[in-house]
Amino acid sequence: MDVEKDYYAVLSVSPFASQKQIKHAYYRLARRYHPDSREVDTPTSLFHEIQEAYAVLSDPSSRRDYDRQCDAHRRARRGPLAWSILLSRKTLDTAHEEQVLYALLEIAPSVPPEDNRLPLDLALVIDCSTSMKGHRLKNVKEAARQIIDELHDEDTLAIISFNDRAEVVLSDRVGGTRAHAKAGITALRAEGGTEILQGLRIGLREVTAHLRPGVLGHVVLLTDGRTYGDDEGCIAAAERAGGRDIAITALGIGDDWNDDLLDQMASRSGGTSAYIASPGQVRSLLQKTVRGLGSVYATGLSLTVRGAEGVSVENAFRISPALERVYSPDGAMRLGTLAVDTPVKVLLAVAVDRRPPGEHPLLELELTGDIPSLDRHEETLKHVVRCAFVDDAPNGGGDDVPPALLSALGKITLYRMQERAWSALAEGRVEQATRQLEMMATRLLDIGEVQLARSAMLEAKHIAEKEGSTDQGRKEIKYGTRSLDIGSEAYD
Amino acid sequence: MIECPSCGRKHRPGTLFCSECGIYLPTGGPLGTEPIPNRDLPAGKASAWNNEPDREGVRRSNAALQMRIASSGRQIQLPVGEDFQIGRLDAAHGIFPDLDLTPDGGLKGGVSRRHCKIYQNDGDYYVEDLGSANGTFLDGERLTPYLPHILQDGDTLQLGRIALDITIRQ
Repeated sequence: MDVEKDYYAVLSVSPFASQKQIKHAYYRLARRYHPDSREVDTPTSLFHEIQEAYAVLSDPSSRRDYDRQCDAHRRARRGPLAWSILLSRKTLDTAHEEQVLYALLEIAPSVPPEDNRLPLDLALVIDCSTSMKGHRLKNVKEAARQIIDELHDEDTLAIISFNDRAEVVLSDRVGGTRAHAKAGITALRAEGGTEILQGLRIGLREVTAHLRPGVLGHVVLLTDGRTYGDDEGCIAAAERAGGRDIAITALGIGDDWNDDLLDQMASRSGGTSAYIASPGQVRSLLQKTVRGLGSVYATGLSLTVRGAEGVSVENAFRISPALERVYSPDGAMRLGTLAVDTPVKVLLAVAVDRRPPGEHPLLELELTGDIPSLDRHEETLKHVVRCAFVDDAPNGGGDDVPPALLSALGKITLYRMQERAWSALAEGRVEQATRQLEMMATRLLDIGEVQLARSAMLEAKHIAEKEGSTDQGRKEIKYGTRSLDIGSEAYD
Repeated sequence: MIECPSCGRKHRPGTLFCSECGIYLPTGGPLGTEPIPNRDLPAGKASAWNNEPDREGVRRSNAALQMRIASSGRQIQLPVGEDFQIGRLDAAHGIFPDLDLTPDGGLKGGVSRRHCKIYQNDGDYYVEDLGSANGTFLDGERLTPYLPHILQDGDTLQLGRIALDITIRQ
């Protein structure tokens, strides 16, 4: 038995293959590659390899040994990425037709590097429409000037102002142009309407022009309004940006912007979106964003999950660094970047059908990502999630659930409740929306989140009376639940 | 299938949170009022007969009642002329008390969702326990549920373990 060899690949079968499938695969290959066979002219070493693979995999107990040793081997072989996988249950019950299993993945650098900062290729796309006049633009200008001091000389910065059309204020290397950039920001004026696509398109063009291997491309969009008629164009542009590893951070100021659009742009590109309730928060949020970019370790993280027969992934959320639904039915989920100091956490909800007693492989997880500072590309981690089925398994929950998984799931549950409330409201089911928000308020009170609970109660009352939500309440609740920090002790 | 103890929705085995009401299914969520052991509560019982208003010939029709929650220091001014319910908010069951003691440690302190009410009648303030699990105490004596007792300046009300100091000003 040699754990360096992938016996499943040799026999061209999946790790979920049944003993019967393995046997069939072996017969087919053996007939083809047998030294006596005239069918093809291949070295006999290949035939020996097939025999060796079959010898190990045909016997369930030696197959189990091999699987176990492979897992250990993969763990021991230290690549630049490491992960841990926690399951909500240690054993599943053979009696149930279908049951639910949760898995929490935590991805981190295996050895945190000392100096890792990648040169940044940043575009600040600033909404300069009439509604930005006054406090909003003043705060954005201050924040942008401060960012210039935080950037390194080798970074490039593009500043784009937009209203009905976009203008490149500056697009250059930061070193030597700081004074010029600050003057450009100071001269920004607010007038005209809001057409996000205009600004976004130019921002992406500038970032792309400066992009080189080993450089981190990023667009920060700051807006306070709704865009007119170009929503789909914005989402398509974000999708293309994501394909080139350029993530978009979308920051919405005040209450009038379109949260659905900004959320979509962020998640399609592997970035994040955030709500800035008062202009005074622009500075800290923009600073946090740029500092976060400075600690990026891996880019283009993507997770592919394949279920064995009768096992299906029903939902997937990234929980850290920011809560985002990452589920996609075809399996490849875009997780964005991994920072040195903040692990990426993903929660999977999985439905499993009935199985006989014994250990069964359920999921095959494959994570890929680039580590630009180490010049490693398409770095891959693989893991097969296995679970034992027994008669009369403990019914899940209670003390067995890992605390980290519990608090992640608690947070997602609250986030989903408000999502359901908004979609009920959109379908005109006012009573349902009100009830969801009220129940959410109760849960929030249970865990001591009084402020957010109050927002949910107020919003429920408003919806019941006016049959519609308020922009402010909706955003407070949505972005408030997203940034909740729930300890597992809340469910003791 | 497992059933949510709060809303009755059915879930597949292994589900941890009710998608409908958000409750943690294995424990039923931190919802119900736990009974507090007797030794943690005052032992006396208020006499329902010792309930004569102390008028001294003065009608206190404009008296204002203020209370201070000892555990959190929060101060509440009672609105004049209305029933004032004290308890813990539970939106799922439609319980919205005028004073919600959840932020003051109400759940741990054994406060029921509908614990007691205070109201004004003929210039005097009365407190009435609403059949709470852990009782309402007036100066250390447990009130008989649903029987009003008069409140006076300087009294201490205790709901489960949560103490409220009463001030009544003319």
